[in-house]
Amino acid sequence: MKLEDGKKNIKYKILSIEGGCRSKDRLIKLGLIPGSIITIERSAPLKGPFMVDVSGSKIVVGRGIASRIDIEEIF
Amino acid sequence: MISVALIGQPNCGKSTLFNQIAGYKSLSANFPGATVSYTKGKTYIGNDLIEVIDLPGTYSLSWYDDAEKETIKALFSSDIDVIINIVDASTMIRSIELTLELMSLGRPMIVALNMMDEAENKGIYINIERLQDILGIKVVPIIAKKGKGVKKLLEEIKNAQNPRKRCIYSKNVEKEIKKVTECAKDNIKNVQWPCKLFSIKAIEGFGPCEKFFEETECKPLLDNAKNALNNGLDIIQERHALCMNIFENSAKVKKIRKKSIESKIDKFLMHPVFGYVFMFAIFILIFYVVFTGGVPIENLVIKAFDKIDAYLASNIHNKLLFSIVKGGIDGIGAATGIALPYLFPFLFIISILEDVGYLPRIAYLMDSTMHRMGVHGVSVISFVAGYGCSVPAIMATRILKSKKEKYITAFLASLVPCSARSIVIMGLAGYFLGYMYVMGLYAFNLFIILISGIILKKLLPGMSPEIILDIPPYRLPTIKTLLIKTWYKIKDFIYLAIPMLIVGSIILTLISYYKFDSYINVIFTPLLTGVLGLPAAVGVVLIFGILKKELTLIMLYQALGLSSISMVNSVMNPAQMLTFTIFVMFYIPCVATIAAINKEIGTKGATTITFATLVLAVLLAFITKIVSPLIV
Repeated sequence: MKLEDGKKNIKYKILSIEGGCRSKDRLIKLGLIPGSIITIERSAPLKGPFMVDVSGSKIVVGRGIASRIDIEEIF
Repeated sequence: MISVALIGQPNCGKSTLFNQIAGYKSLSANFPGATVSYTKGKTYIGNDLIEVIDLPGTYSLSWYDDAEKETIKALFSSDIDVIINIVDASTMIRSIELTLELMSLGRPMIVALNMMDEAENKGIYINIERLQDILGIKVVPIIAKKGKGVKKLLEEIKNAQNPRKRCIYSKNVEKEIKKVTECAKDNIKNVQWPCKLFSIKAIEGFGPCEKFFEETECKPLLDNAKNALNNGLDIIQERHALCMNIFENSAKVKKIRKKSIESKIDKFLMHPVFGYVFMFAIFILIFYVVFTGGVPIENLVIKAFDKIDAYLASNIHNKLLFSIVKGGIDGIGAATGIALPYLFPFLFIISILEDVGYLPRIAYLMDSTMHRMGVHGVSVISFVAGYGCSVPAIMATRILKSKKEKYITAFLASLVPCSARSIVIMGLAGYFLGYMYVMGLYAFNLFIILISGIILKKLLPGMSPEIILDIPPYRLPTIKTLLIKTWYKIKDFIYLAIPMLIVGSIILTLISYYKFDSYINVIFTPLLTGVLGLPAAVGVVLIFGILKKELTLIMLYQALGLSSISMVNSVMNPAQMLTFTIFVMFYIPCVATIAAINKEIGTKGATTITFATLVLAVLLAFITKIVSPLIV
C-alpha cells in the first residue's frame, strides 16, 4: 500500500520509494529509507501533507510524495 | 590564524554555537534552514586569534538546495583548518551520516555533540567515551544555547586530529565502489572531493558527481556498480545501519513514561480545525498587541515633540535655521516615537515565532493552500519573515528547490507588508480610522497575495515540488537571545534610517523653504492627483520610501507642510488615507529588497517584480479611491 493510504498510529515499514530522484534524496537523508519503520502521526486537511515519525524525528511530506512511498504494516 | 568551520545538519544549533563563540552575528532560529549564507567571526583562544565560519546546515555533502550548496562550496574552496561537526544528540542517528562523510575528507575535526539536554529529555543517554572510540574523533558534549561545554570545545580546537577511522562497507559493496574509484582516480581530474566519496555519491545518483563520469571510460563501470548496488540503495542502507549501530553501541535509551508536552501542544496547534483557529488567533493577537501598544506611545511622543517645536519656534528667529533645526529634531522624534513603538514589538514577536519552532508547523498547516499558489508549505517561512523585513524573507527562498517556487515566493514575499510598511498601516490608517481598518488591510493584503499567487502559478511553467520538512521540537528561547536578535534586526534602522530621516527632513524643509515644491509636484500631479486623488506632495515621500520604507509615514506630514502627524486628517480625508496606505502597502520594494531579489532570482525577476508591484499598487489604489468614499 501507499503511505497516502496509511492509517494513523500504526507501525509501517517503508518498502520502496518511487522516482522523483531529488526529493527521494532528501527523504533518504531524513531517515525515510526503504526498511525504516515509520508511524503516521497526522495529516493536514484538504489534501494537505502527512507528518510521520521516524526514529523520533517528525518529518512532514507532501501528499504527492506520500503517494509514491510504498509501505507495509508490521505486527 | 586558524580557521574553523562549523558544519552540521540543519537546525542542530550551529548559529547558536557561533553566536556563543564570536558574539551575536548570525541570526539563529528554530527551523531547518534558518541560516542561508555563511557568517565569519573571530575569537581568541588563549592568545591565539581564530576565525570561525558559520555555514548553512546541510544534511549531507551531496547538496539539495542552494543554501546547502553554499556550504559545500565553502568547505572545499576556503582554507579551513579545523572542522567542528555539530551533531544534534537528540537526532543522532541521521546526524552521524554527515559525520561519516566528513570523516572521509581526512581533515582535522572535532564532533560537538549539541543539545545534550534535549536528548536526555527524550530518554537518550550517550556515552561520550564510547562514541569517541567508535568514531575515532574527539567528541565534546555541549549545550550551545546555555554556553555549556563551549570553553572545552574551543580548547580542543588546537588538538584537533585527522579522523583515525573511515567508513567501511561490506565486502561486496566495497568491491563495487573500488572498481569505480580506481577508474575515477586515473581518468577524472579537477575534482576536489576524496575519490571514494566522489564515486559513492555518483553511484547513489548525485547529479553533480555523476556528470563528471559522462563520456569517460569509467561510465560503464559506474553503470555496472549502479546495477549491482540497486542504484546505490545498498550503500545507503548499509550506511544507515552503521549509524544505527553506532547509536546503539554508544547510547542508552530509557523509555519515558509520560507523553511529551510537545505532542500535547501539537495536538492543538496542528489540529485539522483548531490548528487553523489558533494560527489566525495568534496573528490577530500579534497585530492587536503591536497596534494597541504603539498608538499611545505615538500619541505621547507626538505631544512631546509638538512642545519642543513650539519652544524652538519662539526661540529661533532665523526662519531658515529654524526650518533646518526643526527638520532634524522632527526626524529624530519621528524615528524614535513613531517608528520604534511599532517596529520593536513587531520584530520581537516575529523573533519569538521563529525561535519557538512554530513556523514549520504553519508550513504544515498551510501546505495545501500554498499549493494553489504554485509553492509549498515551506514558503510560509518566507512570508512570516516578511512581516518583519523583506530582505531576510527573500533570502529565505534559498531553502526552496525549484526556480518557479523561488520566483513565486520572492514575488509574493515582497507583497507582504514588512514592519516598516506596517508603520503606515497602523500609524496612519489605524491611528485615524481605527483598529478594524488595520485588520481589514492585512486581510485584504493576504487576499491579494493569494490572487497574485494563483495568477503566477498559471503564468509560470514548470512543476511545483512538494514539501519535505523536518519539524523541530519546540524550544523556549531566552529573553536575552530574543532581545539581542531584535536589536540585531533593528540596528539597521537605527544606524541607517535615522540619519536618512534627518537628512530627508532637512531636504524637505529646504524644498518648501525655497518653494521648490511646486516644480517637483508637477512631475507627480498627473499620477498621484489625477489618477489617485492624493496630494501631489506625497510624491517625494513615496520616492524616499523606496530608499527606506520606514521613512514613509514620518516624512508624510512634513511633506504635507504640517507641524505634526496628528494633523494629517486636516489635509487628507479618510478615503485618501486609505488610498495612500494601499499604495504604500504594495508599491515598489525598497532598494535593499530589490538588491536581495536581484541576488536570489536574477535581474530579470527583480525588474519584473519592481514594475509589477508598481502597476499593482496603482491599480489597487485607484480601485480604493473609487470604492472607499462608499465605506469610510
